[in-house]
Parts: sequence; structure tokens; C-alpha cells
Amino acid sequence: MGKHASAEAATLTVTPRQALWLELMPFYIHEAWLLDERKFKEWLDLFTDDVLYFMPRRKNVLRREAHREVTPLGDLSLIEDDRRYLEMRVARLDTGMAWGEDPPSRTRHLIGNLVAEPLDDGEVRAKTAFLVYRSHLETDHQLLAGSREDVLRRVKGAWKIAKRTILLDANVLLDKNLSIFL
Amino acid sequence: MGATQTYSVVDPASGKVDRRIFSDQAVYDAEMEKIFGRAWLMIGHESLVPEVNDFFHTYMGEDPVILTRDGRGRLHALLNMCRHRGNRVVRCDDGNATRFMCTYHGWSYGNDGRLEHVPGTSEAYYDALDKPSLGLVQARVETYAGIVFATWAEDAPSLEAFLGDARWYLDTVFNRRDEGMQALGPMKWLEPVNWKTMVDNCSDNYHVPTTHLSSARVQTRYLGRPRLSHKDQFESPNKHVFVNGHALTFREAPDNTPRYVHGISKDTFPLFQAYHEATLPEVERRLGAFRARHVQLGNHSIFPNGVLGFRLALPRGPLQTEFWHFVLLEKGAPEALKHAIRIGSQANNGAAGLFEQDDVDNWRQVTAASKSRLRRRISQDLSMGLGHAGAHPEYPGVVSERYISENNQRLFYRRWEEFMNAESWADIPIAPIIARFEGTATIRG
Repeated sequence: MGKHASAEAATLTVTPRQALWLELMPFYIHEAWLLDERKFKEWLDLFTDDVLYFMPRRKNVLRREAHREVTPLGDLSLIEDDRRYLEMRVARLDTGMAWGEDPPSRTRHLIGNLVAEPLDDGEVRAKTAFLVYRSHLETDHQLLAGSREDVLRRVKGAWKIAKRTILLDANVLLDKNLSIFL
Repeated sequence: MGATQTYSVVDPASGKVDRRIFSDQAVYDAEMEKIFGRAWLMIGHESLVPEVNDFFHTYMGEDPVILTRDGRGRLHALLNMCRHRGNRVVRCDDGNATRFMCTYHGWSYGNDGRLEHVPGTSEAYYDALDKPSLGLVQARVETYAGIVFATWAEDAPSLEAFLGDARWYLDTVFNRRDEGMQALGPMKWLEPVNWKTMVDNCSDNYHVPTTHLSSARVQTRYLGRPRLSHKDQFESPNKHVFVNGHALTFREAPDNTPRYVHGISKDTFPLFQAYHEATLPEVERRLGAFRARHVQLGNHSIFPNGVLGFRLALPRGPLQTEFWHFVLLEKGAPEALKHAIRIGSQANNGAAGLFEQDDVDNWRQVTAASKSRLRRRISQDLSMGLGHAGAHPEYPGVVSERYISENNQRLFYRRWEEFMNAESWADIPIAPIIARFEGTATIRG
């Protein structure tokens, strides 16, 4: 019985798409743990040098004007960071004076609904959904929901995020600030 | 604290401020009537409604307002409230429409506010409905250099008088170029803060080297921006000035360098310097040589709820404020410069802003400290620089001797009292315009 089962497992085949999914899901789980365990410098290593970390605004528009719902690059965004700005955000936390995050937030990043598709140039487009819980100081808390659309690139054998577009499911943000990473 | 209450909340001799104004519901309700129901309020920018039939949804205090440009190009500020039952007639943030239909019973209004169509005018209303009297309620609208202001008060003075000599300083940012400015935004978020604290904070440069040290430090290291220590702030030759209700700071800039905004870094400084020099002749023509070369507006607020320029602190109850962050860009500036300013603005002063994220917990605890019966009896101490401000030979308004002072804050709460204690606009003092507005720029742009 045991022998039979292992023989079956050995012959299990996955499509290239499924293999990609199986490779990327642990990548996102790993990233979530880095954020929730506040290992932000290691988290930064997941990004390419030319990264764009982008969070546009979401507007209320009529269905027939859905193309205007998300503000384009070039408009005012919630975040439009290059690597230098991301590094500044992380370096700030270690100054001992980043009061918005000192004492730090308690976060839980739940990442799922992964869809990954290879692009022509060897990069991969990976879309995930998130629920992120943040608890801060005594009773402040927030639940952020949204999606990430990443462009992933292999750099020296490891996946790196070359572009991340974060769509928050909110028009007016209900929290006091956005001092955590998504 | 009823309707006949006389408010005395700041002691001019000691600078003590009564904390109840940050948390009391009755005070807040009176503010909505006596301040937000009367003052000229910033509601938008002409560039947000550039074409005929464009609209932009905004607020005057708590009240939803549609800023429209009608078919003939005229601006309107329309209360977003159907005259039948009160449903909103617009639920979008912006768009282009000739008509707004209420989704409840189908009453439809033109974008000039006129009630144009009511289902069943004959069949249900027997042709007895007085449509001309049932248009959307309109506020008075005036513009300053493209920034749209509105007021509910028919007896309010002109916007020009309301801004007064503050405009002499404001022009150095908002009225520099012939082509004017374009607004991007807003990003919107709720802060658990009384609206007055974030307005007061705009000319509080004392907090900068403490609250914002982490962000200033990394930007010195990564972007080559100057250090921001207490020593730098205390020794700064910049000035702090209160003009006709508006709290401003400015830099005397005899060195022909550009205004130091977010977005300037070691790398981008040459771009800013080149632009400053290239546009100086135009700015001199518009503002006169003195203002063009010597006066640069810094952090400031426009009474009651304009925050650091064209950004809004919209009251949402005594304990909460909806913050709207816009960025204004000079239309004719090079794209690289616009890019630098946009990134600098949103990365520092937005919801996720490196600077701004450290403000919120300070402010909210000022608000929270005003809730308990014990703590609300312990006043705020705004005594810094008492007796060290007055008239200045060159600069309009009440000018502090030093950049770091709480004179503007004391006068802001004094202005608040003037509005709260007035029966009508006739009781609210307006300082005469005495500054010399050299150059061709006008209030219109």
C-alpha cells in the first residue's frame, strides 16, 4: 500500500503554470512572514534595484467609466517609491525616532488567490489578494484589503519584484496613516 | 455652551488654551455654523474641472458639494442634496455631466443647479410644483489664482478682503506664473484628530526637529537634503506671520535660490535652480522684484481649514478629520521638475508620507487628552514668544521676532473666538489691505 502510494506520487505531473504557482506561493508566504516578523531589510532584498512600488488612488466613478477608477502613473498616488525611497522608509525605522512606528505596529499579512502568468521576456506577472490586519499602540487597528500585481524577474536564480502595484479596496482610507508595508 | 455662549478660549497674557474646544460636541456644532457656515472655504481648483460640464465632488465642512463648470464655463458650488427628500444627486468623485439625477425619485438638475425635470409634474403634482425655487442650494463662489473658494454667507466680504494681505505672501507660491497651476489629487484619509490641531500645526516649526527627525535624517543621508536640527530652526532667519486670520511662515530669500520644497534633493537641485532663474523675469513682472526675489512662503494655513497650501482638513465630528492631500504644480514647469515635486509631495506629506505619518499620533493624543474630565481642565500652554511679535516695516501682518514662536497659534485661536462670538459677518474684523501688491498678478491669477 505504502509502496504503491509513493509510486503514484513519483508520477504526478504538473503543468509549467502549476509549477510556477508552486514556486511562487512559498515566495509570497515567505515575504508575508518577513513583514510580520519585521525583517524589513531582508524584505528589501526581494526587490530589484529598479523597482517601482506603486499604490494608486481608487476613485468613485460610474461603471461605464471604470477605466478612470484607478489613477494612472503620473497622477498623485498614495505611494510611488523607487528603491531609494523604499530604503529610506526602512532605514527610518532604525533611527529610534520614527514615532509613527515606534512602538511598532503588529501586523498580519494574509496573501492568497495567486494567479501567475509568464510574460514573453522571461518575467512573470503575479497577482495576489491580501487581507492585512494592523494593530497599533493600545486600541488602534485597521483591516486593509486589496490586491497586488507584481512583475517578477529572476536575478541570480532568485525571484525579485521589479514592479508592485497595490490596489487598496478603499476610497477614503479609514486609518490614521499608512506606515506599514503591503 | 449654547448659542449665546461667549467663547474665551485663549488667554492672550498667558497663552493658555482651553482644551474643551478640541473635544466638545456643542463647541463643534457651533463651529459648523459659525465658522464653516460663514468663512470662505477652499473647495477645489479650476484645473479639476477644466472643461465645460466637468464636475468635482468636494465638501464645505461636513456638507457634500458639487463643484461644477456649467455649459457656459461658469463655476458653481452646489449642495449635493436633492430638494425633494435630501438624497445625494452625485455619488462619483468627479466626471462630466450636463445633468444630475437623484436616484430616489428621479428629480434631475442641470449642472448650474436648476431643477430641470421632475417625473409626474402634471400627473402627480398637478403642475403645482414651484420648480424654480427648488434648484440645488448654491454657495457663493470666487477664485484666487485658480483655487476655488466658496461660502454659504451672503454677508461675507469678498474673497479678496477675506484673504487680505495674506495674499501678498501666498502669491509667492500660487500666483507666480502666467499659465497658473494644475491640481492633482486628492488622496483622502481619516485621522482621529480634531481639525484645529492640524491647522495650528502648519506654522509650528518647533515640532519639526523632534517629530520629523527620523525622516529628515534619512533624507539628509539618501537625498543630500540639509539637516533639520533644533539649532537650525532656532537660528533660522525665517519669519512667522499672522495676517488677517491666516497663519503663515516665510523665508527672506535674498540669495536667489528656489523655494525649498519636498522634491529637492542633491540630484534635482540644479533643475530647480535653473527653473527659478529662467522664470524670475516673469515672476518679477507679476509680483514685483521684492516679492519675486526676497519672499518665499513656507508652511502655512488659510483660515479655517486650509493646511500647507491647497490641502484640506475636513471636520468629521470633534474627534475626527478627513484629510485631503493635493499637489499643485506650475503648468509650465518642465516634466522632470513636476515629477520631482509630485514624488516629493506624496512621499512626504500624504497618508504614507515619511513626514506626515509621524504627525498623526501626536495630534490624535492632543485630541484624546481633551476628552477626559480631568485632562480637559488642564490647559494647553502656548506661551512661546509672548510679547515678541508686532508690526514690521517691510512685511504685512503681525510678524514674530523669531521663526520658532507660538504667536501664530495664539492668534489662530483668537481668530477662532472672533468667528465664534460674532452674530454675523459685521462683527468679524477684517484687516484693511495695506500691502503694496507690485506687479501684474491679480487675485484672479
